[in-house]
Amino acid sequence: MEWIILGVLGFWLVASALGAVFVRNPVHSILFFLSSVIAISALFLSLGAELLAGLQLIIYAVAIVVFYVLVITTIPWEKVKRFEGIYKRELALSLPVLLVSLLAMGYMVYKGGLAEPVNLVKDNVRDLGKTLFTSYLFPFEVASVILLVAMIGAILLGRKEE
Amino acid sequence: MAEFGIALIATLVKVGVLVGVVLGVSAYLTWFERKLAGHIQARLGPNVVGPFGLLQPLADAIKLATKESIVPKGADVPVFYLAIAMALVPSLLLFSVIPFGPEFTLFGKEVKPLISDVNIGILIVFAMGSLAVYGTIFSGWASNSKYAFIGSLRKASVIIAYEVVLGFAVLGVILLAGTMSTVGIVEAQAKSGIWYILYQPVAFVLFLFCMLAESGRVPFDIQEAEAELVTGYNVEYGGMKFGAFPLAEWYLNVIALSAIAVILFFGGWSGPGIFGALSPYVWFLVKTFSLVFFVIWLHWTLPRFQAKDITEIAWKIMLPLALANLIITAVAVYFLGG
Repeated sequence: MEWIILGVLGFWLVASALGAVFVRNPVHSILFFLSSVIAISALFLSLGAELLAGLQLIIYAVAIVVFYVLVITTIPWEKVKRFEGIYKRELALSLPVLLVSLLAMGYMVYKGGLAEPVNLVKDNVRDLGKTLFTSYLFPFEVASVILLVAMIGAILLGRKEE
Repeated sequence: MAEFGIALIATLVKVGVLVGVVLGVSAYLTWFERKLAGHIQARLGPNVVGPFGLLQPLADAIKLATKESIVPKGADVPVFYLAIAMALVPSLLLFSVIPFGPEFTLFGKEVKPLISDVNIGILIVFAMGSLAVYGTIFSGWASNSKYAFIGSLRKASVIIAYEVVLGFAVLGVILLAGTMSTVGIVEAQAKSGIWYILYQPVAFVLFLFCMLAESGRVPFDIQEAEAELVTGYNVEYGGMKFGAFPLAEWYLNVIALSAIAVILFFGGWSGPGIFGALSPYVWFLVKTFSLVFFVIWLHWTLPRFQAKDITEIAWKIMLPLALANLIITAVAVYFLGG
């Protein structure tokens, strides 16, 4: 019976991703994006990755998207010059890349079969924390330093010169 | 197949019962709040409709439901309606991880009186608490009105600031209990026999402030600020569409977050078994509604903060306090054992 839930969530995800790309109004587009982020989190939850689902909601759906929303909603879009139409040249250029990646994905699905969980963990919060702070300590710390640099950069850019 | 069907039906029944009870209780909480506010301000409160004004919530509901529906000019109509759902749904979903009592056996099956026992229950609470910000932002934006938009931006800044403090304040309890599951936290307290408010008084005070801020109660109600913004982000809504916002924010959120506070700091359903088989539920409801009463009492007693002070208090005072509390707790748990 799980495939019904998976199908519904997958359809929701694809539909909202398409909506985010094709909708004209930037606020509607960010709403579709938010919907797709929530769909991903629901997929994680249905697959048993509960911690990932929670983090997806807290970090992506709230912390990151809310700043996009704050910026987009405060811009008066009526005054911004908009391009109405289809980007023909860009579409032609991206078509080969799209085709190749679709073929590659199709080949992988055809050959690989669906993923099966190997060692089911009971408490994935504890396990994830242990793995992050032992096996992957160095990449984890490097990532946090990169984020810190980005934060300092953003403060420098946003600060008014006296 | 059969097991899946039974689980599905059981969950649907639980969801139906919970939504019905919670919405009914919040409707009557409006009556209780108006009565209490009346007595605090030396008035009588509602007393015309029915005995002691008990039918007032029904009269209000009929009034709100039959009002003319007005959509302001220049509003973004789909988002205008969607914002109502975005405000209500997270507040209702908060209840999905609240355990009302211990497991019991019904028709030979183990039944848990909560909707989903995920091992990240507390994370779901954070996530839903902050997802409520979208209802506020989009209702303000879609109304195409200055007052509504200023209110929603204020609320957004408050939620972003206090969500961080809330997370760090609750981490201390998670360290002590060793789990993020709401059931696990209550069981850890019941086993040791000590409520976590004794170990984490600072965290409880911070949680209380965050609870007030997230549910837009005084002294953190700058997004409403009747004197400056009329009522802030929901000013352009009318009828039941208007009613949905205070219902979600002032009542559903307050009940849910009070229940979470009881689970985290007051031992959930644990208490002396003086009411027989029902005593866990009675204790849980008594504790939760004492906190709800406290919040409403504060609402009608305190003045409001200035808009700029609220985020400053969160970032400059509460966040360092929460971090210090977390570090001290972590060191204590490491050396003394959880």
